[in-house]
Amino acid sequence: MSTTLPPAFAELEPFVARWAAGTSAARAAVRDEVGPEECARFFAIGFPRVDEALDYLDGKGFAGFDEADQRLMTLMLGLVHAGLAADVQGPDEPRHSLTRSDMKLQVSPADLAPAA
Amino acid sequence: MNVHTKGFSPPEKDELAWLGTRPIPTKPYYDPEWYADEIEAIFKRSWIQIGHVCELPQPDSYIVRELEFAGVSLLITRGSDGEVRAMHNVCTHRGTQLVDTREGTGRKFSCRYHMWTFSNDGNLIGAPDFDRFNVEKSACAIPQVHCGVVAGMIFVNLAKGPVEDLRSWLGDMAAKLEETPVADATHLTEYTYDIDANWKLTYDNFQENYHLRFIHSRTGIASIGEANPFGYPSAYGFYGPHRTQSIWLSPNPSFTPLQWLGVQRSCKALAVRGIDPVGSLMYLALFPATFVFASTQQPFSHTVYPIGPSRSRGVIRLYWTGADASPNERFAREFSGMLLRDVHSEDRSVIEAGQRGLSSGALEHINLQTQESLIRHLFNEVEARVLAFRAEREGGRA
Repeated sequence: MSTTLPPAFAELEPFVARWAAGTSAARAAVRDEVGPEECARFFAIGFPRVDEALDYLDGKGFAGFDEADQRLMTLMLGLVHAGLAADVQGPDEPRHSLTRSDMKLQVSPADLAPAA
Repeated sequence: MNVHTKGFSPPEKDELAWLGTRPIPTKPYYDPEWYADEIEAIFKRSWIQIGHVCELPQPDSYIVRELEFAGVSLLITRGSDGEVRAMHNVCTHRGTQLVDTREGTGRKFSCRYHMWTFSNDGNLIGAPDFDRFNVEKSACAIPQVHCGVVAGMIFVNLAKGPVEDLRSWLGDMAAKLEETPVADATHLTEYTYDIDANWKLTYDNFQENYHLRFIHSRTGIASIGEANPFGYPSAYGFYGPHRTQSIWLSPNPSFTPLQWLGVQRSCKALAVRGIDPVGSLMYLALFPATFVFASTQQPFSHTVYPIGPSRSRGVIRLYWTGADASPNERFAREFSGMLLRDVHSEDRSVIEAGQRGLSSGALEHINLQTQESLIRHLFNEVEARVLAFRAEREGGRA
């Protein structure tokens, strides 16, 4: 398997295909599509690495990002959505997901290319 | 800072007695005639928040807003002179809607029907074979709409005649708004929802915290706590048709690990910008249907637009100063915006359930508790305007 994340974060590789979605709305949709169990699986492995990942990315800065860094950034944003399901909503997630997509995301700063 | 660490006591009932104690009639929450009169008496005569100047970041930017309650499409432009103007989105030739994109930049707008072309201040620049018309160009400007900006928020007033100046209308709220992060915002998170509920019922949900412990048991836990289990605000304020509350914050909220991380990351991002991470927790309600919650970590506005007697639309916007400056700030903003979306998603279905109950006609009245005094204040203000409008109309017929 080719490495698509910075090497130190290789254990998160299995989640890239689903969770490194490009916009906030796309990440919210992934949360709905994959369901609570997949959210919990990603959160369990990803959450312990968030501080380290954000500190690493802050060290590089947006201007220093390569493709792997950008993917890790997007994956960490995806973890917010997985965590809202697994950590915040918990057992309420199935019920909460029934009408959540009616809250339509229109604009998000994370959808913009960061200023170099 | 409106944080109480212990011995919290909510505002007393007596303090709010001047608002009255009568039960509130249900009919204004579903009756089509009442709704139609609200639109005329309130929404076509009041300053309505429709956007923010950060959506018009440079000269010649424009946005389009559909105000369904009035059946009106508005074109809001920033002219080459920097001034923000609002005008009807119509060509003055035969009324065709001029712009069909939601936003963009342009110094002029051409109607696709017969190519009448207008400058972005609304004046007619030219039209093909214009000599064959029997009208002067100067009489063909696009009809303007009253427009004003306070704290970066763009307001319009659809009244055709002279109107009270926006700052005067806002009164003491203008200065309060200018102290909020909304005033400095350059970027937004926005989500919207349509809901089968009267605009007041939708808006009222966000005027009380009585429901927090039940509806937001997982997400709303920062403003309820042992000392204040029902989430009372620490103070209310009433300013003409507008109102405020100071939101109470628990000194020891039982956050989940992700919530703690989100708060820490948010505080870090704010510290880089030199912003106090707690700041004000003022809730500013602007008549008729906008409120701003001036939290620094999650500053947002919520405007409810009427669509029909039992239909409305909510527009929620979080306000950010500067583009995402770091990966940490990007993460913190995603967390803040998406957590708030989870909260509002919890509200939506229970509001619709409320509308179904009211629309059934089963109840003549609803009952309001002290903490629901902001709801009473809004109803009093609405009722006074509708009754005055009806009296005015009856007087006109006499």
